[in-house]
Amino acid sequence: MGIFNYADEEIGQREITMTVASMIIGLGVLTLPRLVASETMSSDGWISILVAGGIALFFGWIVSKLCGRFKRMTFYEYTSLIVTKPVAYVLTLLQAVYFLMFCAYEMRAVASISKQYLFDRTPIEVIALTFLLVVIVAVSGSRVGIIRLCVLFLPIVLFFVIVMLAFSVELFEWENLKPMFITDGKHIYSGARQVIYSMLGYEIVMFYSILMRKPKESTKAIIIGISIPILLYLIIFIIAIGIFTREGTINIMYPAIEIAKEIEIPGQFFERFESVLFIIWIMTLYNTSSIVMDVSVHCLTSAIKKLDKRTCLLILSPIIFLISMFPKDQVEYVYLGTIISIMGIAFAAIIPTSLLIVAAIRGVQSSD
Amino acid sequence: MSNQPNTPVLSTSVKDNINNFRCVLGSPNDLQVKEITLGNAHPCGVVGIEGLTNKDIIQDQVLRSLMISLTDSNKNIPVSGEELLLFVQSEVLPLQAIDVISDFDEAIRCILAGDTALFVEGADKVLMLSTKGWKSRGIEEPQTEGLIRGPRDGFTEDLGTTTALVRRKVQDPHLRFDTYKIGNRMKKDVIVAYIDDLANPKLVQEVKRRLVTLHKDDVDGSGLIEQWISDNYLSPFPQILSTERPDKVAAALLQGRVAILVDGTPFQLIMPITFATSLHSPEDNYQNWMISSVIRLLRIGAAFMATFLPAIYIALTEFHHGMLPSMLAFSIAGAREGVPFPAVVEAFIMEITLELLREAGIRLPKPIGQTIGIVGGLVIGEAAVSAGIVSPIMVIIVAITAISSFALPSYSTAISLRLLRFGIMIAAAVFGLYGIVLAFITIMIHMVNLRSFGLPYSTPFAPTFFKDITNTAIRTPVSHLEMEPEMLKSGDHQQNHNRKR
Repeated sequence: MGIFNYADEEIGQREITMTVASMIIGLGVLTLPRLVASETMSSDGWISILVAGGIALFFGWIVSKLCGRFKRMTFYEYTSLIVTKPVAYVLTLLQAVYFLMFCAYEMRAVASISKQYLFDRTPIEVIALTFLLVVIVAVSGSRVGIIRLCVLFLPIVLFFVIVMLAFSVELFEWENLKPMFITDGKHIYSGARQVIYSMLGYEIVMFYSILMRKPKESTKAIIIGISIPILLYLIIFIIAIGIFTREGTINIMYPAIEIAKEIEIPGQFFERFESVLFIIWIMTLYNTSSIVMDVSVHCLTSAIKKLDKRTCLLILSPIIFLISMFPKDQVEYVYLGTIISIMGIAFAAIIPTSLLIVAAIRGVQSSD
Repeated sequence: MSNQPNTPVLSTSVKDNINNFRCVLGSPNDLQVKEITLGNAHPCGVVGIEGLTNKDIIQDQVLRSLMISLTDSNKNIPVSGEELLLFVQSEVLPLQAIDVISDFDEAIRCILAGDTALFVEGADKVLMLSTKGWKSRGIEEPQTEGLIRGPRDGFTEDLGTTTALVRRKVQDPHLRFDTYKIGNRMKKDVIVAYIDDLANPKLVQEVKRRLVTLHKDDVDGSGLIEQWISDNYLSPFPQILSTERPDKVAAALLQGRVAILVDGTPFQLIMPITFATSLHSPEDNYQNWMISSVIRLLRIGAAFMATFLPAIYIALTEFHHGMLPSMLAFSIAGAREGVPFPAVVEAFIMEITLELLREAGIRLPKPIGQTIGIVGGLVIGEAAVSAGIVSPIMVIIVAITAISSFALPSYSTAISLRLLRFGIMIAAAVFGLYGIVLAFITIMIHMVNLRSFGLPYSTPFAPTFFKDITNTAIRTPVSHLEMEPEMLKSGDHQQNHNRKR
């Protein structure tokens, strides 16, 4: 009944930090130790992670500068100010397609990992479909609601990860980390390239800046938001190497989950902690999926004025489901991932940078 | 009623008036009519309803003054009806509240509410004497919200007592009681209570706006009002707290919340609330902060178990045997041997039995009600196990679930969690732990989108108010405690904020 708010349809720095962190932390970290270790020698992958983190921080800073120029505007609105309407239109639609594919990719991953760790008989389509339905429930609610979900879930997820890492300390062997600094620059670079895909996601701030109280202050929020995953990746990578050695890590599909398998919780209440961890991990995967779907819907509805949110969801959901079921096997699935990663680099680095440069040259910013 | 053509109006004749009253009410035998003569030549009529009026007041104050004192004193009795009426009101009757009423419908309504009407020949108005007085329950300990330490008084059905209890606890000149008469047919007294300089004016305005939109013939108790003015009727969660404890209402008012006090029920309403407040008990503030904090954490655990425990049991036994320690898995499997049903059916049988027992316990007279708990819980549980219908582990699970849900301070939150439990059990039966976590996420989505009078239900966690978190899951020492929640953005919060503690 009635509309009466405490003016809380706005978000501050803290919310942006948590949203960026929960957006970035997701699928990437599960496979990250394997991908990095396979490119680098010994435990040197941490340099790659830092390098990739630095790059992400730089582009995150660019995104925040771009958002800071415009108050209370959608992505479509301010890009049309910067680079005329037709270009903005195309850009926004491309972004929508990218996030749509991202969501499908994420969903497929949830379904296949669930199948591996939780059930063996349930068909993958059913698992993905239920997940999609719950994502739709969140997206059809308010946009602030999705950010609040991140704020609620991120501490829970981080708490469980810290518990897992704390118990894994006794399995950790320093010997496995040695020798250090033996990888050459080229391999560090190719390791960093693997990490950078897992660092994508901060660009969503471009679409949530419309909700922000003071977009100018988003810089600090994004920087902290990106730093949390960097730190998490570093710790998980080092612990994975310390427990499994580099050679072991390369051969494990999801090293982050397998760490949980190795540890023993005192009291022995849960025998297989990795299932518990994955259950908790579903929350952050869920956050990522709902954010990308929301951004996709937001892009479409802001560019096409006649499209209303519900209709848009009705059209998008089957498409997402079909895309997610499209890859027949692991090879095709990895291929889909590569396409998305390349698009992601374009949207997270190239587009914000060029928009910022054009905006700076033309001196475009919102009036107040 | 006033639209009907033959509605009677107040006439100057006492006889006509009395006849009209009789006619409208259908001459009930509890309508007491007494015709007297003032002085020598002024016929009067006194009309009231037996049982609703206080007989002592009518006899000692009204009739004695009119029939004896007036005649004895040598005052000049005015001749015209109108003047006589005013004379009686201001000089004769030693009563505090006397109104002059000229509308027939209103007069009838007042009489039905327990007032007594006094007609005077020659005046087309009526004096309404406040003689309300019926048998009402005394102040007793609240039935549904008991405490170990804390005040023992509870609201009663009488609105006068209710407001008095609140005023006793909140002695603040800024306390406001705004009275409304709600209901189409029966006008029920409803009071919006708030503290003027603490409550957010927009909130007070919104509460009043929603309250006056209520169009029902009969506003029966506070439950109907609660449902009518709630933000979202599709939600299982209570968005308004109902309580029969004056200290709860007083504390809420002092935090800048708004209360609605309703006549005829001991359950009064507090708004807005969040999920965290529904796990609070006034006792938390009466005890050491360490104890209170631990107890609050215990309650959060209780809320979790009351909602998820049977579902987790189903998921672990049906889907993820490997997750249990092997010894425990063996003993559960051993106990379940011979049970013909899958864990879901087993859980549903026991949970539904439990709900039945609970419902039956309320209906039965009190002494039997207590025994049914023992008979039901122990005997049926024991018999079901030895008959091999359910496993002993299931009985333990159900018992823990029941105890947990009784440990929650808010009854309406407890029942909404009870309802959710069944949904989550189904999710667990279909998808195991995956289903449970999706159900959890769905509940959370619902919570972040739900509002209680504009306040998001998940406050102060998301949106985050760090100061308010100190009084949610834990309770910090009193010296550090922010008593007025920042999330309510109350009027003088800023000043209090700067004040040294």
